[in-house]
Amino acid sequence: MHIDAFEVLADPMRRRIVETLRSGERAVNDIVERVDIHQSGVSRHLRILSEAGFVQMRPEGTKRVYSLKPERFRELDDWISRYRVLWEARLDRLGAALDRRKRDREPTPPRNEETK
Amino acid sequence: MTNNATAGTSATRKERVTIERTYDASIEDVWEMWTTKDGIESWWGPDGFATTVRAIDLRVGGVLDYTMRATDAAQIEFMKKANMPTAIDNRMTYTEVTPPKRLGFSHYADFIPGVEPYQVNHLVELRTTADGVRVTVTIDRMHDDYWTEMAVKGWTSELEKLAKVLAA
Repeated sequence: MHIDAFEVLADPMRRRIVETLRSGERAVNDIVERVDIHQSGVSRHLRILSEAGFVQMRPEGTKRVYSLKPERFRELDDWISRYRVLWEARLDRLGAALDRRKRDREPTPPRNEETK
Repeated sequence: MTNNATAGTSATRKERVTIERTYDASIEDVWEMWTTKDGIESWWGPDGFATTVRAIDLRVGGVLDYTMRATDAAQIEFMKKANMPTAIDNRMTYTEVTPPKRLGFSHYADFIPGVEPYQVNHLVELRTTADGVRVTVTIDRMHDDYWTEMAVKGWTSELEKLAKVLAA
């Protein structure tokens, strides 16, 4: 089953739930207290988050305690490094294009060093 | 976007990437590469794509419309498999045009399912140095607090798609 990570996290209430778990694991009733919707709503969002791999649950007595699964978040890629790679490649191409242009322009290009 | 950022509570922050290169060329040539149809088409890329500029209106508020078409067989196959179109239309809006030194443009990322469109701002600065022309590209992402915070934590987004599609 594939759940789009963005769709899951785009929901404002689910974001709030994730926020509450950022400082550490919490029981469901604790989460309910911090986000002002009904327990049924919280449970539904937790189930969706859980299915998407963002949170995990462990029982503690009669309680259900949820925590974030950092691996899932890390899987989502790092924007900055992506952008850097993209632009490094792009600026390389700019350099190559400038070189080409310079070569094309030179009226009597110096002999290419193909004699090797 | 110059809202009064309320100090303290609002965590509206930006992500920023800065990349610098020095080219052995004249500043006018480099400027032309960034600001003319022929110039842009000759290098914009990415690799495996051909860029066609459909319209360019080089002034603040003017737009650059271009299409990136996959030309590389492997790339085309990848895009098809990923259910992505092999030609992607892009639009950027110029935010600063100061020849031949500063070029600003913003790109609106609106293709991520379930995510509110967000803006990516670019500023290109050209400076003549002893070695040639120093090009500094600064990229800022404007996003909501949540994603910004996520990025700061080093998590961020599923940008397989971004890298492939955004390329702009």
